[in-house]
Amino acid sequence: MMSGMTLEIGLAVLILLVFVTGLAGRREDRRRVGVLAAIGLAVLLALAFRAEPGAVLFGGTFVQDELAIFTKRLFLVATLLGVLGSLGLRTPTFARRATEYYVAMLASLLGMLVLASARELILLFVAFELMSIPLYVISGFRKREGESVEAALKFFLIGTVSSAFIVYGLSFVYGISKTTDLAHVAAALADGHPLLLLGMTLTLGGLGFKIAAFPFHMWVPDTYEAASTPFVAWLSVAPKAAGFVVMFRLYLEGVGDAVLLWVPVAAGLAAITIVAGNLMAIPQQNIKRLLAYSGIAHIGYMLVGFAAVSADGVAMMLFYLVAYLFGNMGAFFVVEAVAQSDGSEAIAAYKGLAQRSPVLALSMLLFLLSLGGIPFVAGFWAKLYVFWAAAERGMYWLVLVGAILTVVALFYYLLVAKRMYIDAPERPQPVPVSPFLAFSILVCAAGVVGLGVYPKPLVMAAFRAASGLF
Amino acid sequence: MRGMPTLSIITWAPFVGAVLIMFLARHRPLLVRWIALCSTSVSLVLSIFIYVIYEREAAGFQFYEELPLVPPLGINYQLGADGMSLLMVLLTSIIIFAGVFASWTVKERSQEFYALLLVLVTGVYGVFVSLDLFVLFLFYEIAVLPMYLLIGIWGSSGEVRPQGIFAWAFRRTGVGTKEYAAMKLTLYLLFGSAFILVGILALYVAAGSTSFSFLEMEGIAFDRGLQSWVFLAFYVGFGILAGIWPLHTWSPDGHASAPTAVSMLHAGVLMKLGAYGVVRLGLGLLPDGAVQWVWLVGAIACVNIVYGALSAMAQTDLKYVIAYSSVSHMGVVMLGMATLTEIGLNGSVFQMFAHGIMTGLFFALVGLVYEKAHSRAIFTMGGFGQMMPGIATAFTIAGLSSLGLPATAGFVAEFLTFLGAWQSPWSWWLFPGVIGAFLTSVYVLRVAKQIFWGLKSTDPHFQHLPDAQGTEWAALVILVFTLVLFGVAPGIALGPVDTATVPLLIRLGVLQ
Repeated sequence: MMSGMTLEIGLAVLILLVFVTGLAGRREDRRRVGVLAAIGLAVLLALAFRAEPGAVLFGGTFVQDELAIFTKRLFLVATLLGVLGSLGLRTPTFARRATEYYVAMLASLLGMLVLASARELILLFVAFELMSIPLYVISGFRKREGESVEAALKFFLIGTVSSAFIVYGLSFVYGISKTTDLAHVAAALADGHPLLLLGMTLTLGGLGFKIAAFPFHMWVPDTYEAASTPFVAWLSVAPKAAGFVVMFRLYLEGVGDAVLLWVPVAAGLAAITIVAGNLMAIPQQNIKRLLAYSGIAHIGYMLVGFAAVSADGVAMMLFYLVAYLFGNMGAFFVVEAVAQSDGSEAIAAYKGLAQRSPVLALSMLLFLLSLGGIPFVAGFWAKLYVFWAAAERGMYWLVLVGAILTVVALFYYLLVAKRMYIDAPERPQPVPVSPFLAFSILVCAAGVVGLGVYPKPLVMAAFRAASGLF
Repeated sequence: MRGMPTLSIITWAPFVGAVLIMFLARHRPLLVRWIALCSTSVSLVLSIFIYVIYEREAAGFQFYEELPLVPPLGINYQLGADGMSLLMVLLTSIIIFAGVFASWTVKERSQEFYALLLVLVTGVYGVFVSLDLFVLFLFYEIAVLPMYLLIGIWGSSGEVRPQGIFAWAFRRTGVGTKEYAAMKLTLYLLFGSAFILVGILALYVAAGSTSFSFLEMEGIAFDRGLQSWVFLAFYVGFGILAGIWPLHTWSPDGHASAPTAVSMLHAGVLMKLGAYGVVRLGLGLLPDGAVQWVWLVGAIACVNIVYGALSAMAQTDLKYVIAYSSVSHMGVVMLGMATLTEIGLNGSVFQMFAHGIMTGLFFALVGLVYEKAHSRAIFTMGGFGQMMPGIATAFTIAGLSSLGLPATAGFVAEFLTFLGAWQSPWSWWLFPGVIGAFLTSVYVLRVAKQIFWGLKSTDPHFQHLPDAQGTEWAALVILVFTLVLFGVAPGIALGPVDTATVPLLIRLGVLQ
């Protein structure tokens, strides 16, 4: 039993350690616990790379299969980067209450890890809530600022309503299939009982809020804008990935031919999310809001892979998630660096960045190009692969919509690039970057370029992870 | 020599040059230029070399190279060149070699300028020689993207004053500024690449998701319905780059705003890349689709020829005249391929080459005139022929080639194309073509007369202007020489081209 749950147990221990260390430290500056959290996460990550698939615990409710291991590694990488980025935060509130921050973040991670393995409705839901509730808390971390509170409240209300949707939907699922075991739910789905379909659709709506697909996206820009940037970097990736894992488990795993039911729904959701996300990003003046809307569009692209309802589609989504992780988190970290230096999150603050801090600007350019899907950076393969999966399903119209909207996306990414490279700087001095932040940015840049140049190992791993679902 | 990866060397030499420039030549502008010159001359020498040793009897793709890149998906780095790609490679080499000289005077951030320019050229070469559709697409993207920075940073904003009821909209979008042009060009071309990507993926899946190889796909007869829409996707995708009406509007803005060498390269080579893509992928892989849609390709080409020429007549900015003339001449290229006759297709490929050299020369000259006189407004200038006889002569030769005077390359190209049009089932295509040639002579001679041969301008700024000096001559001499050489001895180009077009037409079922 231990071998299957090493990561979860290890993380629980780490949470306690961080908590206790935080109590013992100096009152005014508790940032040091973050270092402990980062070291612990690095150890867990190493363990995750040694983990063997195959463990099935608690009568099949908790499985450690290839998909679980792949996504757990992803969560751990994202959280490690998130913690490293957060170590660069400078505000005093943050220094005083760092323990809470890291404990909440790790608790949320614990929810994700359990979620990746859950094969039972109740466990799934509990893990989901364990993941979500700390997120609300951290969103409102700067509680004396009105904006932050507003963002947290919005996030909280929408989040709980969506949880309610999910539970409500799952109650139908339980009512019809008379079991909470996902394997049996999948079997029941083959009969296509209308109430069961209703339940699944309601749940999909709830999950749509979590992954921020259009039209369930309203909380995203406000929350991103007000919450602290390294946290947002993490928020924009890890919980979304977790939402997708739930979707794989619930809608695809072992369902058989009935998966084709989801094709029109998912394809429609993907198309509308891509179009809406990209179009709404155009007029944004604040870089975090821009990235928020572009993130919504990226969720749409991942849904293209989901709409393919095939092992290829899922594998390509997983690849996309990793590419998105590096690109998006990296971009947010650069935003944090510039915001710390210039005190502004406006796109105008990037004027002449290339002449002030060439490396920072180049990293940002790489992240933006990756998000835009340009060759030799990770995002290109990601987009290509999901399109390929959709093309295999014969959905050329969706590929065309996606490909054309990529051009729109490049428009607003290039506007930022233009500020950095073409416009003249307003002030001459370079942007100082704290070492932790610089390190996380470099890791992300390395990830983006590495995956862009040599995507093969990750593609193979993604294929292995997805193969168990069908 | 046969065992050498010649095509790879040609393709990657500029890229190596770019890397060297970035690392070795910080704050040493002269070294930057020498590195650029050396790397492009490697490519030039080798492209002439392979052009000469290409075995015409054997025909087909030669100088073949292969290297597996992503084996599970069937992506291979696969290069090869036939008569048509050889000519295009030669064109690229000549233009970039001349372009290095033409941008000798770039002052601001010249290190990055040359590096980006050379990266761009690698992309162009790559498209012409790749036989793997996926690699082709990668190179295509490399050829498009640096353009944004090249125009955005080193470009020039035009002197267009927005007028009329939509003036406010023009002012808000910044029409005529280099930022606007750079963004417009990039987005249009990426929009095109979206269509290309969809087309390539469709063929890949239809061929069984095992290989992106052009040679393998050539052997497959795709389903008729698929061919039909994929051809349209390729036509729109590559056609945008080739400047087909009504998707050509990026080209005048982009070319007018770009710095000299970039205009040369873009109008001279990149637009050919679009036409080449339609011939190679559209006609080559989708014979049924091509036969089904050539009427549309030809009809739009006719619009291009006449519309481009009329627009060029209306311009007052010298660079815009040349830019619109490209739109018109690219119409001739597309018309030639739409005829689906041997003569027409040969004429089309020859026009790609001839127009590439000619427009390269034009943009080099416009750049020089601007550098001397600091003006592009045609009607303020006058009588420059006395002060800069060299530039005036070169301009006139380019102009005569443009309007299709015998003994210049332009004549051969237009003559063949129009002959092909007459032989094709749509013989009326000849008339717009000839009208276009006539209109070309109107606007070209008008410009030449006004600026160079007419009355001397009274403007004090234009009194003592020097002729071309030193390295500036290089581009002019090279391009004028090529233009005349291929005009008097068109067989040099037509021989290899014919070995590529005949098999293509046999596959299309129009030749026996």
